[in-house]
Amino acid sequence: MVRLKDRYLLVNIVYADIPPGQKGPVPDLLLYNQPTIGELRPQTILKGIRSQVNALFGDCGSGSVERSLQVKYLSTATSTFILRISRAHCRLVWAALTFMDRLPVKDGRPCIFRVVRVSGTIRKVEEEAIRRAKLLVLAAKDEMAGKASSDALNALFRGGKDSARNLAMVNDDHDDAEMDEGEVSDG
Amino acid sequence: MDNNKKQSASGKAAADSKKRKEAPLNQNQQGKESRPPARPQKRVKFQDARNIRSQPSDAALDDGKLDLQKFLNAREFEIKALETSMRKCKSANATRVFQQVPREMRRRTASHNAKRVPKRLRDRAKREMMEDNTPTVEARKRRPRTTRARIRAENAKRLEKLAARKRKRALQNDAGGENKDEPGKTTIQTRAPRPKIRRDTLNEPPKPKSKFKKRQINKTWLPTHLWHAKRATMTESTKPLWRFAIPLTPTQKCYRPTHRASGQKGTVYWDTSYMSTVRLYGAAGGIEQVLKALGLVQEGLWGNRGRRWRSGTRTWSGMVSRQQRNSRRDIGPATILWNPTPTAETAAPESNTTELKKTQRQILIRTHPSCFLELFDELVKLAKLQTPQVHIEDLRFEIGSIELTGPGSTETLLAVLQPYHTEERHGQVFSSLVGVTNPASLPKDAVLGFSIKDPRLSYPPKRVDTASKVSDSALLDTLTQWSVEEQVKPYGLFDLHVRFKASSLPPQKSINRRKGASIPGQEMQVTAADPPIPVIVFASRPAAGGQAQGTWTLLAPWKCILPIWYSIVHYPLSTGGNPRLGGLNEQRQIAFEQGTTWFPGDFLGTNAGVVWEMEQRAQRKKAWDRRPKGKRIEWASLDLGAGRKGEIGDGLACDFEHLFGLPTDPSPSSSEDQSTSDVDPNAMDLQPGEEAEAAAKLGKVHKNTVPSLTTIEQMKKTEFQALISSVDSGRPPPRSIISVNITFVTRGVANACARIYRLPSRPSATTTVPSSETEVPATDPVAAGMGSLPADLRDQWLQKLPGNKSGSRPTKATTAHAAPHMPRDVGQGTRKQLMAKSLLSGDPLPYPRPAANQTDIGGGHPLCPGEEDLIGFVTAGAYSLSEGKGTAVGAISAEKAFDTVKESGTKEGRLCIVRNAGENVGWLARWELV
Repeated sequence: MVRLKDRYLLVNIVYADIPPGQKGPVPDLLLYNQPTIGELRPQTILKGIRSQVNALFGDCGSGSVERSLQVKYLSTATSTFILRISRAHCRLVWAALTFMDRLPVKDGRPCIFRVVRVSGTIRKVEEEAIRRAKLLVLAAKDEMAGKASSDALNALFRGGKDSARNLAMVNDDHDDAEMDEGEVSDG
Repeated sequence: MDNNKKQSASGKAAADSKKRKEAPLNQNQQGKESRPPARPQKRVKFQDARNIRSQPSDAALDDGKLDLQKFLNAREFEIKALETSMRKCKSANATRVFQQVPREMRRRTASHNAKRVPKRLRDRAKREMMEDNTPTVEARKRRPRTTRARIRAENAKRLEKLAARKRKRALQNDAGGENKDEPGKTTIQTRAPRPKIRRDTLNEPPKPKSKFKKRQINKTWLPTHLWHAKRATMTESTKPLWRFAIPLTPTQKCYRPTHRASGQKGTVYWDTSYMSTVRLYGAAGGIEQVLKALGLVQEGLWGNRGRRWRSGTRTWSGMVSRQQRNSRRDIGPATILWNPTPTAETAAPESNTTELKKTQRQILIRTHPSCFLELFDELVKLAKLQTPQVHIEDLRFEIGSIELTGPGSTETLLAVLQPYHTEERHGQVFSSLVGVTNPASLPKDAVLGFSIKDPRLSYPPKRVDTASKVSDSALLDTLTQWSVEEQVKPYGLFDLHVRFKASSLPPQKSINRRKGASIPGQEMQVTAADPPIPVIVFASRPAAGGQAQGTWTLLAPWKCILPIWYSIVHYPLSTGGNPRLGGLNEQRQIAFEQGTTWFPGDFLGTNAGVVWEMEQRAQRKKAWDRRPKGKRIEWASLDLGAGRKGEIGDGLACDFEHLFGLPTDPSPSSSEDQSTSDVDPNAMDLQPGEEAEAAAKLGKVHKNTVPSLTTIEQMKKTEFQALISSVDSGRPPPRSIISVNITFVTRGVANACARIYRLPSRPSATTTVPSSETEVPATDPVAAGMGSLPADLRDQWLQKLPGNKSGSRPTKATTAHAAPHMPRDVGQGTRKQLMAKSLLSGDPLPYPRPAANQTDIGGGHPLCPGEEDLIGFVTAGAYSLSEGKGTAVGAISAEKAFDTVKESGTKEGRLCIVRNAGENVGWLARWELV
């Protein structure tokens, strides 16, 4: 069928440092899944990605990304957002996200933009986001009960393992070399 | 000022003419309930549905600090937000109800007209149309656009006024007249006029209602025309087929469903009321003479074996023919049925034969409309010769018929045809057929004639209770004994009065009234107002025999076809679903799948078949002409290999003129010669009135074609077989053809007009050319003459037989031509070596690479034989769903077939090569006589 073909990326923002006002020990789970403080708005994210794409791929790259890049969902409370990009240029954006190391705001905190899911429909991305949120809820409940406190990273990567498999399914049409690159950025 | 106004008005008109208008603004619809403009509203709805709610970051922080509980809440909120978003998106999707309707219930314009969707969806459709602001137009209220439409609309208005005035006057008259007529209220009862059928002339078609008169000027509608016109592709209105509007194929796709319904599960039914019926009556001896003159001379028919047929409990089906100068020419297929005599003839002793010959008998001849005229004229001629004279009645629009085939056909008929009199023997036998799944399992050509109740009384038809079937052994007894001879009475269908009485069925309104008055669920009782409907049903077997499904044919008065039809259509089959509608194409499809011939398409030896072929040629020519030049087959440049260029004969025709060397473009003088003068009277003499046009048409076609194609004769299977098996030197007549059924040995699918070759003969020893000649130089094919066909071509073809293991690849030399293949399962190193070798060898691959066909034809695949080996043409071919491979029906020259079979035996002589017109690849096939 002839139509516009898009890809949806589910991206998590992962922090590794303790926020400025925090006192006392912070459980790992909270540390890695911090809310995003500050003026992060869809436009700023787009601006950051575009400038990164421009730096990496030049005018051609930024021109091709310009048109179709869109933020479908941004939740600063959970540091999650969903991007839409045309299928042909999905990898440019992904690469740009991989290379970004701070929030694209003034005096942005260092962070990682982690692409956890790529899909052709927003529905599947949403399902993945729900699944991950549920995992985190379970981990948080465990944490509150005071057991298995060390497993925060595990919760993070348990989702990651599965999503890597999903990615393989999504990217079936790409060849192996590209696939390898995808896994690296995922981990 | 004025100008401005005009502009704005025109602007508005332009906006109006847009396909979908913006929703009317609120102030425009003051009277109605005001609702917001529909489309913006819808857009807002979609946007809202796609928006996913999210929280600010503060929600996850407790006073700027990380907190587990807040973290948990934020995640839960996210889950909820995403879930609601997904749910809303799904409910706000863009499908409309008419898209959910199953395919067989889809109707045109369902998007504009809520009445086209099923009732349960109608409300939703209305609401959606309102939301979407779909423009709706009621045909009744549409402003007439064309001049013709405007005149019609004005006329209708005027007529309406006139009718109102008339009604008013009638009312006044009634009011005045009531007082006058009060004392003696004697009204005259009139009855519907009985139809008159003149003997020995053609019957007039029924007078259509004035509303439909104009549409039937040059054709006649079937009794079920209005039903069919909505559900099937009919013949073009200006080009009727055999002067009838005939359903060609259902609107719905049905190729495979028809195959299933006709063979495995279900039923296919046709309204075959277009088939022509003739009644012959007079002294038995005279009728016998007439029939013998029509070619029914087999010993079996008139001796003791034909006793059942002559008593009227069996039919005879076959080709009838007429005498020409010194040969017989086929007219077409006919079914002949005797009317039983009241005193059972079977008991009469053979001694008083003269007495028997004088008894008055009647027969019914049912034939195809395309050959009807020819047969009718022949009958008139023959009947006049008899003393005492035999008379003919044309019952074409008096008797209609329905045909059913498939495993469920018996069941369907059992549910619909309920015997009127319980004591009728044939009715009893028919009712005892519960459980029969193939009409061919009845005795061959069995006939049952009885009267049935009006099927509308038991409408909707109930499923036949197969559980109530007595037992398998009882059914088997019925089928083997088939005791229908005792106390057999004349069939009512032969009787004009009985037919007429049946035709005056009570109107549907009165049936509805009676149904309303009776208790729900109770069967309606037959009253004096319901006449019995005389019917004759007979089962026929396909010529192929074997396990193929037979066909039921139901003959009933023309006017009773419609009520019977409705019941058949709505019968709930025990295997699920309803019977399926078939058209002319489906009839041909089923015949093709059973490997039998279909009249008139596969009978080139008859006049009707020739007319059909001519029409097909014209159609193909028209379709070919319509194609752009680059996309149609250029016949002259077809490369058949070995230097042969161009298609043999006309590529758009089964070109028997070419095969037999007949003139293709006849001059007027040649149309006078010999046998054609026999044909012409049939074509031209056709009497007055409604047939004149047909005659003109037939005559026109004949004038062009008579001289050549009609000199071809059809040879019967039995005659040909007798010739083959006989030892003496009899040969088939020169321009004769036999019908064959062709099955491909391995692969290949034939289309109509495909060429059939016999296997090329081996050249005599002296002229043998070495087999390496197969390698026809691709660079210079023209230089190689016709003589360069390889000498071992026959062996090459024989090696294509699947049993022949040695010969999938004919010679090493031929394969050398093709590009070398990289061998499989070799290592990377070997591959590289091979590659380097091929690059360095200096033997470059031909570029551009030759088409697969070309390498095939020049190399792997044997070439088509020469023109001298052409023996015939395919009339119908396709991939057969029942065989699982390509099959075809065609005709081949009897003389050449005879020679081939005599030369190389029945096994190898029946191998042939079939090549589609316009292609250069032939495939090996085997022909069987049909």
